[in-house]
Amino acid sequence: MSLLSPKEGWYDTKVSKDEKMWMVIALILCLAMFVWMILWHVYGKQNPSSITYRTTTTEFAKLSEAYIKRNLVGMDNGVPVVRPEPNSDVFLLAEMWRFSPAMILIKDQSYNFHISSKDLVHGFSLQPVNMNFQIYPGYDYVLKFTPTETGEFKIVCNEFCGIGHHTMIGKIIVIEKDEDLKLYGYENMKTKPDPIIEESDDKPLSEEQMVTLGEQLYALKGCIGCHSTDGSVLLAPSWKGLYGKTEDIKEGGKKSTVTVDDAYIKESILEPQKKITIGFESTMMPPTPMSDKEIAQITAFIKSLKN
Amino acid sequence: MFRTCDITGFKVDLRSEKLIRYNAVFAVISLLMAVVAALLLVFTRYQPMHLLGAEWYYRLVTFHGLNALIFWIIFFEVAGLYFGSTVILNTRFCSPKTGWWAFGLMVAGLVISNIIILMGKADVMLTSYTPLKAHPLYYLGIILFAVGALIAVILFFGNLMIARREKTYGETMPLVAYGLMTAAIIAVITLASGALIYIPTFLWSLGLIDNVDPAMYKLIWWGLGHSSQQINVAAMVSIWYMTSFLTVGGTSINEKVSRSAFVLYILFICLASAHHLLTDPGVSSAWKVWNTSYAMYLAVLASMIHAFAVPSSFEVAQRKWGFNKGLFQWLAKAPWGNPAFSAIILAIIGFGFIGGTTGVIFGMEQTNIIVHNTIAIPGHFKGTVVIGTTLTFMGITYYLIPLIFRRKIVGFKLAQWQPWLFFIGIAMLSIGMIVLGQLGVPRRHWDNTFSGGPFSHNFNPAVDFFWVITMLGGVIAFTATLIWILIVVFSVFWGPKVNGPQDMQLTISPLPPEGKPHKGFEAPGTLVLTFLFLLVFLALFFLNWKWLAATWNVN
Repeated sequence: MSLLSPKEGWYDTKVSKDEKMWMVIALILCLAMFVWMILWHVYGKQNPSSITYRTTTTEFAKLSEAYIKRNLVGMDNGVPVVRPEPNSDVFLLAEMWRFSPAMILIKDQSYNFHISSKDLVHGFSLQPVNMNFQIYPGYDYVLKFTPTETGEFKIVCNEFCGIGHHTMIGKIIVIEKDEDLKLYGYENMKTKPDPIIEESDDKPLSEEQMVTLGEQLYALKGCIGCHSTDGSVLLAPSWKGLYGKTEDIKEGGKKSTVTVDDAYIKESILEPQKKITIGFESTMMPPTPMSDKEIAQITAFIKSLKN
Repeated sequence: MFRTCDITGFKVDLRSEKLIRYNAVFAVISLLMAVVAALLLVFTRYQPMHLLGAEWYYRLVTFHGLNALIFWIIFFEVAGLYFGSTVILNTRFCSPKTGWWAFGLMVAGLVISNIIILMGKADVMLTSYTPLKAHPLYYLGIILFAVGALIAVILFFGNLMIARREKTYGETMPLVAYGLMTAAIIAVITLASGALIYIPTFLWSLGLIDNVDPAMYKLIWWGLGHSSQQINVAAMVSIWYMTSFLTVGGTSINEKVSRSAFVLYILFICLASAHHLLTDPGVSSAWKVWNTSYAMYLAVLASMIHAFAVPSSFEVAQRKWGFNKGLFQWLAKAPWGNPAFSAIILAIIGFGFIGGTTGVIFGMEQTNIIVHNTIAIPGHFKGTVVIGTTLTFMGITYYLIPLIFRRKIVGFKLAQWQPWLFFIGIAMLSIGMIVLGQLGVPRRHWDNTFSGGPFSHNFNPAVDFFWVITMLGGVIAFTATLIWILIVVFSVFWGPKVNGPQDMQLTISPLPPEGKPHKGFEAPGTLVLTFLFLLVFLALFFLNWKWLAATWNVN
């Protein structure tokens, strides 16, 4: 009769016993689930945090960069590796398309993760544990993690963030004692981070220090996502043997050639769209603001990558 | 202006009938585009085939989402609203001219957005979370479509007013129209949220606004994204009641209860979209728990009430027809040869057991941690929107073809099989995806091997098996949809004309004889089935919490 007006008296019809029974059960179930969620906050060990700080993309990127510089113990496939102290703050930066840093944690110790993005919305998916959180630019999400098992874990991005989304993956190693590092090929990592190379105006840095700083920037600024250092072609020209090479380029649609020197590298960093190497016209280099000092360090690093 | 239907006796406004037809046709076109994309996507994610390149994979995920979740569903719902407000209420269409304007806007929106997507200017997914930016025309297309849909909803209310003033339906509005009215009210809330977020985003894409805060965007976007699914639920449940009436002459055993449940949807579902932000920064646990319990569970309660009320309406009518033996004779002797009936029963089962259970569990604050943004989420809403809503719409179309398009169904034998095939396909797809998600596989992800990334990750080896299930399910579901589309197209354009009740392949049941008043349960069979549902739910509930408890500690 659902297509017709209901029979007279429909409003006063008694609810049948079975329907009443079901509704009561359903209501109890709903209330129980409500209480359950609250109880889990008290007794459970997995609860999303309520702590968020407002930040900006540049501010957080700076924080993360400084954090990595201070704690760097090595590199893994171009991703900086840190070894945070238990109970310390850990800064995890998500950007197109990588997570940095990779980290070595100790089982059953707590770490205050600060997670934010440099560009788009990303996803934090810890595998194979399977814990998932959302990452926003401009919001610093504080999650206190305590790894309960040892092993190698990955952070997969599970929020679409552009064409390279599926290449965005980070790493966490959880160990109990230092010997375990061998299991993950991390035995050559430094046990303590290097002292920070102090830059001062009156004492110029050595060439070696410049290269080291340049290599750090290469990882920190995300150059690593598109430029390889071993000659393989990713989304942009490899840096191996690049310095001094003559490249075919396009400038404003016109073809010409250019020799890669300090000036060209600087120009390419500051105005990436001006001269584009032929063969890479379709990939746009994102704007990567750098100081003159940093550009000099990057240049030193590129110079060091000889054929 | 009117014809009197020689089969049902309803007065049909011919101008309304035409609008219903055209909106339905565009719904089918959208569905076709959506499922072709879907098949390509399944063949891409199934790693051994890996059909599309990354660019086209992401592009078609966007295309599929928009066409399936927005265009197909809303065109069909507009057809449904027009049907509900004119045919069922025996009334005329308030302003057919405006109806055509609305239709024109919706078609324009569909065309613009789809072209922009296929041109590669809007690879942003359906959700288009800022600061991911699409071409301004993409947002404009969606806005045009939404404005058209909003006008259609307003016309629905106009029709209701005429019907009410002219008393064309008796004292009280029929339950189906009441349910559709619920859907229309939710649609207004939904489209308002849509305007609230798409208009600033459109201006931002034009460069007129500096930035759209990503957290605010996500919060309001889900006021559209989730509430729109509740339009589907309200419309779908209305159709379930309608099918009960058409196939066995059934009606809700207590109309007051059913109507109250519809009201619960209106009151609470908008807040419930908070469950999309359970693992997000920016909002507190108290906010999350409150909105997903207080608000969402009252909407869940409404669905649980319908879960009893709809099957019991079948059961009670069948018992009156004399199928009174035991607990389940009413079900065994049901009109299974009627594809609309089987489609609706299968939709109810799929919606409850697959979509409903996972929806409630995934929507709890803590358990969301183990599924958020994994492929389990689309797996869940394949259970609600695809088995639930889409199969329901497919089923009721078997009545619309003879009653509104006045054609016989071509390939009726095939039509009897189609709902089963579709159900099996989507159930496999859906369950496969849910298990994959529980194993950590992300959604919207082109490459499970992470090639090109600094590291790789191997999922649990069990994923290989569930990928096969998912892929096969996708192929079966695609085939079933194609069969349905072919049946609809051939019937509507080349089917033999229906000239009266003798040409009806699907029966329309008369009202059952009055039952004897009796003590005890009205619908014991339904009660047993709902308890079965409860058991399945509790099993899944504890399983998920157990998995959660095994993860790292976080707070």
